[in-house]
Amino acid sequence: MSWNRVAVVGAGLIKMGELFDQSYEQMAAGAFAAAVASVDKGFEPDLVDAAFVATQRGTLWGQEGIGGNTVPSAIGLSGIPCTRIENACPSGSDAFRVGAMAVASGVHDVVLVIGVEKMRDKSTEEGLLSRAAAGHPIFTRGETAPVLFAPFATRHMAEYGTTREMLASVAVKNHYNGARDPYAHFQNEITIEQVLASAPVCHPLHLLDCCPQTDGAAAVLLVPAERAEEFTDRPVWVAGFGVATDHPYLHEKSSFTEIKATRLAAERAYAMAGVGPSEIDCAEVHDCFTITEILDIEDLGFVEKGRGGPASLEGETALDGRIPVNTSGGLLAKGHPIGATGVAQITECWWQLRGDAGERQIETRNGFALQHNAGGRGSGVAVVNILTNRS
Amino acid sequence: MNARIVAVGAAAPMFRLPAAAVAEAWGRGGGRGQAALCAPDEDTLTLAWEAGSRALEAAGLDANVVDGLWWGTTRPPFAEGPSHSFLAGALGLAAESGGALLSGSTHSGIDALAAAADAIAAGSARIALVIASDALRPGLGTGAESRSGAGAAAIVLSAEGGAGSIGARITRHHPVVDRYRGDADTETRDLYDGRLFREEIFLPIATAVIEPLATLEPRAWSLPDPDGRLGATLAKRAGSTTPPSASVYAELGDTGAAAALLGAIGSLDAAGTIGIVAYGGGRATGVAIHADRPVPGATSVARVLSEGSEITYTAALRARGQLVAGGETIPMGVPPESAMFVRGADEMLGLLGGRCVDCGTISTPPSIHPHCVACGGPKLEPVALARHGLVHTYVVNYTMPAPFVAPLPLAVLDLDDGARLMLQVVGDGEELAIGRAMRLVLRRYSYERGVPVYGFKAKSIAMEEGSV
Repeated sequence: MSWNRVAVVGAGLIKMGELFDQSYEQMAAGAFAAAVASVDKGFEPDLVDAAFVATQRGTLWGQEGIGGNTVPSAIGLSGIPCTRIENACPSGSDAFRVGAMAVASGVHDVVLVIGVEKMRDKSTEEGLLSRAAAGHPIFTRGETAPVLFAPFATRHMAEYGTTREMLASVAVKNHYNGARDPYAHFQNEITIEQVLASAPVCHPLHLLDCCPQTDGAAAVLLVPAERAEEFTDRPVWVAGFGVATDHPYLHEKSSFTEIKATRLAAERAYAMAGVGPSEIDCAEVHDCFTITEILDIEDLGFVEKGRGGPASLEGETALDGRIPVNTSGGLLAKGHPIGATGVAQITECWWQLRGDAGERQIETRNGFALQHNAGGRGSGVAVVNILTNRS
Repeated sequence: MNARIVAVGAAAPMFRLPAAAVAEAWGRGGGRGQAALCAPDEDTLTLAWEAGSRALEAAGLDANVVDGLWWGTTRPPFAEGPSHSFLAGALGLAAESGGALLSGSTHSGIDALAAAADAIAAGSARIALVIASDALRPGLGTGAESRSGAGAAAIVLSAEGGAGSIGARITRHHPVVDRYRGDADTETRDLYDGRLFREEIFLPIATAVIEPLATLEPRAWSLPDPDGRLGATLAKRAGSTTPPSASVYAELGDTGAAAALLGAIGSLDAAGTIGIVAYGGGRATGVAIHADRPVPGATSVARVLSEGSEITYTAALRARGQLVAGGETIPMGVPPESAMFVRGADEMLGLLGGRCVDCGTISTPPSIHPHCVACGGPKLEPVALARHGLVHTYVVNYTMPAPFVAPLPLAVLDLDDGARLMLQVVGDGEELAIGRAMRLVLRRYSYERGVPVYGFKAKSIAMEEGSV
């Protein structure tokens, strides 16, 4: 292997939600403090010698001025090297991948990867929904976030007989898990009937098929393998990662029953880690909408193409299922503070692989957890990271 | 040399407002008939495009052979601005084509026909496209409100060939104030005094052009009917029974600058002479047109005009922009005056794609695709996209900020030439299904700082034919 092994020695996040009482900077400071506090043998903040910050848009369509300097200043480390990573919804996953490469290459030693996103300082209309008027004046006019995934649901339902109940079962499962995650935005269980009866947002997706708008931040600390035991006796290792791109616009998709970038990123991550989907114990995947998780579990190889719906309805992805997916509650219940999402998913994998997930703890037979995000206009980018507790 | 008539086309907007609904809204009883009304994404330019496209199709002509576009309308989308070049671009006319935009009164429709015929007679144009279109906007509660309609008529003229010809022409004018709209007005002002208008202005000058035309013994007439009664009076003076134009008024109401031609082109379905009388702004013009045999496009006029669904008065106010939600709207990310619209003008209005010379795949739009989406090849040649296709997948968006109005259906379409596009869909999306056959129509996507933004939308063919 041509890269140095990388250990995750700390990870933490703040309680996700509509954090009207916290600024972008305060959320970043909170997440960094949580990661520092999670290090078993203690961690001095000034050990950080570089940081990578994932922020997709700060406060959506408003705080475009966020750069590499914002977070170091907010966490008391102004002066350290720091770069902002923006890569759509996988920004956090990709910051983790880039941070791991910085350590693996030997360029940096102790690296902070932190994701921060302020979604709710702007109203829904002026924030997330204003993208209806952004982009191409004709070919994307009216294209809010659900429009990027609902056409996949329409087509998946037509080709594979996927039903609204199957979609709803994803939301029900993730809310069940979220009700057991103290960091989740929503901590209440819901029923299939509630999902079906919720208001239509973008046919065929209804309100409870959609993730909320959430403020949040999460952070992880990476070190080279040889320094891991300074910080913990139970490190988690980076086993592999992959990133892939596809055309950005919906009309450029060759298929509306798969997310091609997810499939390509997964192939690369599995090859690098030397494992296959059957060796993954649990996965945190991108469930911005219920259909997205159904596509994910197919494209990541957990179930056959077309079986994502029935597999979800039958409990294969539940906490006690064959392949537990989104044990944290996922984007649907834990929330989707875009830049923070991937880093928060890594934190859940870290807890699961260390046996620290409490009520949500699953059995780690093979010692591998997978984390995934897809996004960008028309799911044009996907990132897969694979972690392991096997030394 | 008389200009020859090659083909005709018509267009009507999506909505019909019953006069009874207007009467009820203002606490009056009664109300007979109906008027046509534009959907929020239709206007005089989209109607003109529809009629012009149909006429060219009926003529079997490519848009790029047209030497000029003569367009008459009282309400060009820009009071001052690129109205004519937008319509020419959307129709796909050659960059070197000419013509003129005629406006100022409802007489402008016949002005367009006369100017085009003169250009052909003078030899400065060989093929001319004449379009008369309008979408009137009356004052609320005025007598004209229940009759103010919308529609468009188009005629392709040529120096030779064709199935008919433009004949004699006679004009009278009288400088008086009839219906008008001042610079500061958004709505047309109604007549000052109906009887004064009738006795001193309209009947004298309309009669003066009818009498010489009547000597040609037209087999049918298109006569102006600005108040719902004067048309019948004119018909008597023309020695005619109910003229065919009356049925167009009954279907669409007063279509302003489009009325004279719309009332005539359906009658070109058989050989004979048609007498056309146009009135507006203190001017009356009579034109005789002759069909040697049925003119292509004429038989479908009645069907085209009969399409349309009834709406309520409140929906009509919203459609006309007279009932507007308060609060802020989200501005378009790209201002309509900016560089993207300069780069993208042809591909948006003319609907272009880039065909890969290596693998044949069409990438759309060309300005964002220097390389092919399928093989990555760097050589793409511009091609006009097919205007028909099938729905591959779709959504209906219910959750958008103002100025968007839900439900907004969007469909990914596989066009007949293999290109894939995502476009907004006309209507509420109820009829959408995978595999549904669609055609592309020009619509107004938005109004941005007073600037209309036009582009193509998908429309269900089955919906148009009334089978859904």
